[in-house]
Formats: sequence, structure tokens, C-alpha cells
Amino acid sequence: MSLTPDPSVIGGVATPQFARLPDPRELFQRRAARLRHLAQGSNLGPYLRFIADLCDAQGRVAASLQAPAPPDPAVIERNRSCRMPPIDRAALIASDEMGRILDGLLTEAEGIEMPAPARAALQSLREAPAADRQALLAELVADRVPDGFAAPAAFAAAALQVAGARAAQVLDAGQLVPIRVGTCPSCGGRPGASMVTATQHQEGARYACCATCATQWNEVRLKCLCCGSTKGIGYRAVDDGSTDPVIKAEVCDECHSWVKIFYQNRDTALEAVADDIASLGLDALLRDSQWRRGGFNPFLIGY
Amino acid sequence: MNIDLSRRGFLKLAGAGVVATSLGSMGFGEAEAQELAQIRPYKLATLNETRNTCPYCSVACGIIMYTKGDVHQGQADLIHVEGDVDHPTNRGTLCPKGSALKDFVTSDTRLTEPKIRRPGSDSFEPISWEDALDRIARAIKDDRDENMVQFNEAGVPVNRWTTAGFLAASATTNETAWATFKVVKGMGIAGFDNQARV
Repeated sequence: MSLTPDPSVIGGVATPQFARLPDPRELFQRRAARLRHLAQGSNLGPYLRFIADLCDAQGRVAASLQAPAPPDPAVIERNRSCRMPPIDRAALIASDEMGRILDGLLTEAEGIEMPAPARAALQSLREAPAADRQALLAELVADRVPDGFAAPAAFAAAALQVAGARAAQVLDAGQLVPIRVGTCPSCGGRPGASMVTATQHQEGARYACCATCATQWNEVRLKCLCCGSTKGIGYRAVDDGSTDPVIKAEVCDECHSWVKIFYQNRDTALEAVADDIASLGLDALLRDSQWRRGGFNPFLIGY
Repeated sequence: MNIDLSRRGFLKLAGAGVVATSLGSMGFGEAEAQELAQIRPYKLATLNETRNTCPYCSVACGIIMYTKGDVHQGQADLIHVEGDVDHPTNRGTLCPKGSALKDFVTSDTRLTEPKIRRPGSDSFEPISWEDALDRIARAIKDDRDENMVQFNEAGVPVNRWTTAGFLAASATTNETAWATFKVVKGMGIAGFDNQARV
């Protein structure tokens, strides 16, 4: 150790990286493991285990495919110049690869143990004409699930997540630019939730988690991810007596919406989709409030 | 493609009615009902996170203050203070004094009212704002009348008052700092610091 003082050791204050891209294999594996862990001792155990099986299917489909072709630099440049994300969602669902992923996922899902209504929905989606599938995917890429479609949409969304994560995986994170508050810089989608992280030298930085392509991007804390307001932000949590809840709802009195926020800096095991589903109790309590859910999660429709 | 047509197609194939939630429509209604029954007795806790500036020094680090309870009802308790990662000055870091801000706020010995230590006394006693301000004004006036230097040896007007000093806060707004500066310099005080030095 040198006796010469080195102020840079304590002076280094890093700017949080703007975007973190997903690795589909690791993503679905970790999500499945977290869901199985949460399933122990939860009332929602059967559902969490079912989604975990679906995540495994997502992982198998992702692993079975060749690495996707890197996007056309000209398209990225054009989209950047007009503040558009590099992934074109309409083109994504129209691609041949999307069809292969959906077919692959529906086949993989056949082997999952599930209740009769879920199996019927899976069957109906397998037999549905291409136009119907496209219509459902078109709703999903608009971050919507039409009324009454929650069951088939869960399977279609699982396939779309694989396609989205694969498309985001090959992007260059350094090339991504902020589109607008609450909009994924990779695919233009809505976040499912946001996560306060604890990466070394960036402790406390908040990342919004895209519900579709799983890109995580830096967003300023205490800011509504739906309308961008910093006024009227408050937090709600299930009042179980703890002083330091790790899952809260960030509520906005300007646009009357709320988005879940996970404090991964206090509980490193938290996972954006798995814990969102498992903390359905918070959604239930907020369902009767003045705020409506702003985070998109195709496995948690109706809250 | 009309989504209504598509919906009819799906519903016919699935042979199911319209069920609102993901869990219900996929046959996990029982698990969902159990969870809802368990959560029903619980209430929502009102929490807040508020941006502020550390009051210690002129570095003016950004902080996030966590409170529990409704701030608007005046019933919030400070539970945690941390550096604001989005603040360009400190990027979430805090010095040891800043890290101890919560104890500073909740300290038993925190000054919450004007106090005076009278000549010969070994302790402070409370005094009303009215009396405190009168005494301060009197002391300032007397000292200034006695020690104000209007001209230096060469006869140049200097208007300085060097026997009194003024220490102001660092976490004030620009407007407050401007007004403080005008008042203090207007009286001729030379020893003036608008921040607590580290």
C-alpha cells in the first residue's frame, strides 16, 4: 500500500449507467427460481409454480434458437434521430421468428401441469388462426390485454417476452437514449415495475424494468413513471408492522396511477416480474383506492 | 383485424365466460381467493420519500428523507435518510455528518426554541422570540454604535463593523442567501459566512 494519498479512491462518484440489457437465459432462469422460492408458503403457490414452469419453457425456447441477427445500424440511426426506440414492435410481432417462438412456446407449455381453464386457453391459442394470434400480439405490444383474454394473453405474452428479450440482448446499451419517462429505450414499452438497485458506486439508482423486453433503464427516483411528475409522489405498502418495507407502490396524485417499486438494495433476491406477482396483496389493497395500476404485467391482469 | 371478432373466436374455442383476472381465468381462483382473504384485514401504510438538501455545508448534497405517516396531517416520523443518487453533486454519497442526519433531526438536545444563557448562569433557559429578537437588536445596535468604522486612517469611507460576525445557513435558497447578504453587508459586517465550513 502506497503512503501517497490517492483521493480518487474516495472521490469517485459514478454516474449510473443508463440501460442494462437482458440476457434471456439468465433472466428466465432467475425468474423461475425466484418464483419457486416465493411459492413456498404463499397462498399463490400453485400460480407461482405454474408461472415458474412457463419461465422454464421461455428459457428452453430462447436456448433452442440461434442468436438473433444484430439490428440494422441504419434503422437504429434513423429511429434515434426522431427519438424512437431501436426495436420496432410492429415488425417484431410480424417477423417469422415471432411465429417460431410462439409455436415453440405453446408446444413447450403443453408439458406444464395446469388447471383445465389454462389448458383450454392454451389449446385455443394453438388452434387459433394466424390472424387471431396477430391481433392478440398487436394488443400485447400496445401493452394492453383485451377484456376476457387474460388466459390466452399470458401464453402469448410469454412468447413476446422471449422475442423482446432476444431483440434487446443484441442491442448496444451505449447507443440507447432516453425516449421519455416510463418508456423503454429498447422497445418503447411500459415498465412492469421499478427497482432501486445497489450496484457498487451506483447505490440507490432506480431502474425501470420493461414488461416486454426486460431492459432496465435508469429513471430519476421519486418521479411518476406514468406521467413524469415529481409533484404529489407518495408511497404505500402493506402495513404489516415493519418500518422498512422492500416492496412499495409509488403513487402519483397528479395522474392518479401507481407503479410498484422494489428495493433491491435491501433485499437482493427481488425480481421484477416474480415479486410483482407474489405481492398481489398490495395490488388488491390498492384496487379500491383512488389510484390505478400503471405497471404492466400480463400475468397479473385484473389489478 | 377486429379484436371483437377475435375475442368471439377465442371465447368459443376456450368455452369459458369472461373472467377478469389472470389467476381466475386460468383456474387459480382458489389460490387468489385465499390470498385476498388473507390480505383483507391489512391496511395500507402511508410512506413518503422527500428530496431535500443536507443543511451541513455549502457542498449542498442531495438527500432523500424517508418518512412514515401522513405528512399532510403532520403525523409523519422520519425513519431514514440517505444520499440522493440522482443529485449531480454527491450521487448518493454522504459524509459521516450527513449520514447521521436522522439522529440530528430526532436528537433530544435539538434546539427547538430560542434560549438564553444569562450572565453568570451555567445553563440555557427558554426565552420568547419577542424578547430574544429585542435583545439581539439591542446588542447589535449598541455594538455597532460603539465600533462602526466609517473612515480609515487616510480618510477614505469604509463603513466597516469588525467586532461582530454573522454565520448563516448553507441550505437556504438563493433568494434567502441574497436577502441575508444584503442585510448583513448593509450593516457593515465584514466577518460573514453564508455556510458552515466543513
